[in-house]
Amino acid sequence: MILREGLFIGTCVFLAVLIELTLLSRLGIPGATPDIVVVSIVAISFAAGPLFGAIAGFAAGILLDFSPSSDTLVGVNAIIYLIIGFTAGFWLDPRDRKLPVMIGIAALSTAAAAFGTAVVDTVLGGERVNWTEVPWITLSAALYGALLSVLIIPLVARLARPLLTEMSVS
Amino acid sequence: MLSRRARITLSILVVASLTFVILDLRGGDGPFSSARAAVSSILGGIQRGAATIVSPFTGAGEWWSTQVEQSGQIRELTVENERLNSALVSGENNIERADQLDALLRVAGVGRYRVIPAEVIAVGPAQDFAWTVAIDAGSLDGLEDDMTVINGDGLIGRVLKVFDSTATVVLIVDPESSVGGRVAGSQELGIVSGTGRQNSLEFQLLDPLGQVSSGDAVVTFGSKGGRPYAPGLPIGEVVDVTGTAGELARIATVRPFVDISALSVVGVVVRPPREDPRDSVLPNAPSAPVTPAPAPSPSSSQEKETAATPAPSDS
Repeated sequence: MILREGLFIGTCVFLAVLIELTLLSRLGIPGATPDIVVVSIVAISFAAGPLFGAIAGFAAGILLDFSPSSDTLVGVNAIIYLIIGFTAGFWLDPRDRKLPVMIGIAALSTAAAAFGTAVVDTVLGGERVNWTEVPWITLSAALYGALLSVLIIPLVARLARPLLTEMSVS
Repeated sequence: MLSRRARITLSILVVASLTFVILDLRGGDGPFSSARAAVSSILGGIQRGAATIVSPFTGAGEWWSTQVEQSGQIRELTVENERLNSALVSGENNIERADQLDALLRVAGVGRYRVIPAEVIAVGPAQDFAWTVAIDAGSLDGLEDDMTVINGDGLIGRVLKVFDSTATVVLIVDPESSVGGRVAGSQELGIVSGTGRQNSLEFQLLDPLGQVSSGDAVVTFGSKGGRPYAPGLPIGEVVDVTGTAGELARIATVRPFVDISALSVVGVVVRPPREDPRDSVLPNAPSAPVTPAPAPSPSSSQEKETAATPAPSDS
């Protein structure tokens, strides 16, 4: 059964990364790039539990770090997304699944990802982060995250339902 | 055996019919013509009515086949329509790409750069704070680290990492990028650094007394061996100068010529020109390369040029 779930998570993550790097980042939208990857991770975490959210976050982060379009330190995105993937599913009580709450958490997560990247990059000695831009990037990331999650969370939940029926939601 | 009554009835009927046959065989307007006309008109009416009622069912085969044929036709037309539409869209797309390639070839031709065309296939997300893109050419196409990347408008950046069939390009607006620049038409040199914003660069003059003003164009002065930056490539236009002449922190804001948010066709300079093209690559520059001002003899001017800009050695 692990194979099937792995396949599902892998496909979701791969598609999200592909869409983010080839489409969303090229739209020239002001502020942050709409972070479909983080929203997908959060959605997987809601649908399949925090463990799978963490796995998805790790996989997506590694994929993003290794993509030829980015020059980030390998592992930075992986650790940030792993934490987000775990926290989102762990924090939200499975009995309290309301769409507005889930959208709120998704928006918080995208903001946390943007801010976290800035913090980690600066702490690790990177000189790229311009801190006057960080508030605007974080805010716009949250906004785009909320908009995307309206579509992505129900979609992932729908796709995951038949696959994950026997899975325990911890 | 049949009953007698039945036998009689049968006989009558047989005889009657035979009689009718014989009578009718005589031809012409026999005694039956009016009867036949009456019967056929009644029967004909009923048949026609019945046919109208039944026709949807009996004609179903034919109707169905027409329907299939038509839906087939509709499908064919829809497919053709889609094909034409996509041809139209891709035609427009191709024209745009052709224009971009044209511009790239103009720059490459005027400056005598040898370029390998490539296309931007992915862009790093903004929240990475790194301005990097991936292009669809790599070591198999002859790319190496630190090659200059340009498009028809000017300098884009340099190759950072090379893979088999893709490469990472760091753009000039990346905060870690710095390029040696020269004010067009003069010898003022400086460092052009990225700010992390896509429409502004910082240009710091090396000579605090140097002259620079809004509207001046900035070109690359080139690195040793043309790497990472080939000489003479347009970078951008000075839009603002802060600080007065003589001040140490004299920084000009430069708006890049290239539209960083809409990169598509790019060229990687695999071999820089033998001679510095000076200002000739700028969009509205004189077509012939501008020779450095007083040139008593070609050899001395060449030496002076090499001394002033450490770049253009072709070795």
